[in-house]
Amino acid sequence: MLGKLENPNFVTEVMFVGWETRERGGSYYTRSRWVNGRVAREYIGTGALGKIVALDDELERLRKEEEAARWREELECLERSAAFLHALAEVAEVLTRARLLADGCHRPRGQWRRRRREHRA
Amino acid sequence: MSTAPELPEKSSERLKELRALSDRAEAGDAEARRKLRKALHESSPEVVARASDIARRSQKVLISSAAGKDPLVEEALLARIGLMRAEIAGENPTPLERLLTERIVSQWLLVETLDALVSVQLCPDLPPEKLAPMSYLRHVFRWQESASRRLFAAIKALATVRRLQSGIPSARCMNVQINVSAVHDGDAVS
Repeated sequence: MLGKLENPNFVTEVMFVGWETRERGGSYYTRSRWVNGRVAREYIGTGALGKIVALDDELERLRKEEEAARWREELECLERSAAFLHALAEVAEVLTRARLLADGCHRPRGQWRRRRREHRA
Repeated sequence: MSTAPELPEKSSERLKELRALSDRAEAGDAEARRKLRKALHESSPEVVARASDIARRSQKVLISSAAGKDPLVEEALLARIGLMRAEIAGENPTPLERLLTERIVSQWLLVETLDALVSVQLCPDLPPEKLAPMSYLRHVFRWQESASRRLFAAIKALATVRRLQSGIPSARCMNVQINVSAVHDGDAVS
């Protein structure tokens, strides 16, 4: 079973679990973890023990997925509430620039200034 | 599910028109600048009114998210932003000052909301089931940083508009902003 592989920074626990088929027959349950920036494989066992641990890992994975989905939903809800800020910023930016230009200001090197000629007038 | 509020189509069209004229005026087109003055006079009050209206309605949505369904906190935040709005806009604000004030108030609200979220997560007594994962916190930290930057940008925009519209020239001396009119009136400058 493939876990999250794309960003190791976010993965602190099980990232890869699965059954290994041995040459002499039978399956062996293993799992890999990130330990000090490296992948360390942990050999759990065969038969009933392997199955119990695999089931336990599966439940833990589901629990984490549910929890992540809950937090993601909360963040999305907040982002939706704040989405209007982009529209507001755009309107304010366009109107500010238009007003200052119409009033005779200019922006040399990014700093708004009143044009010298207009200022004297 | 609530979606991001949008400006009415008519206002968006006018905004596009103002943006196009501003681009030309900034490039030195004198005719575009003349047209920009006219277009601003005709359309900016409506665009400002619409945008301010959207901002106020959306602030309420953000407040209910921030208050976490606590009516007391909700009322307190509403009263607080009402006071802030009056204080920042001052007496007889221009339409543009009103709009920039709404932007500052909204951005402040978001910064406060994110600060509160982070503070809760840093509380040592937080039960483990309420502890957010690191990916969530990283997202909130990045968002908090950009919201603070945008808040300062909004404050700076209002200050720039006020300084340039007042027609008072300013100067910088030893990294201190000096208001020239205050010097002329004989006021002390610290």
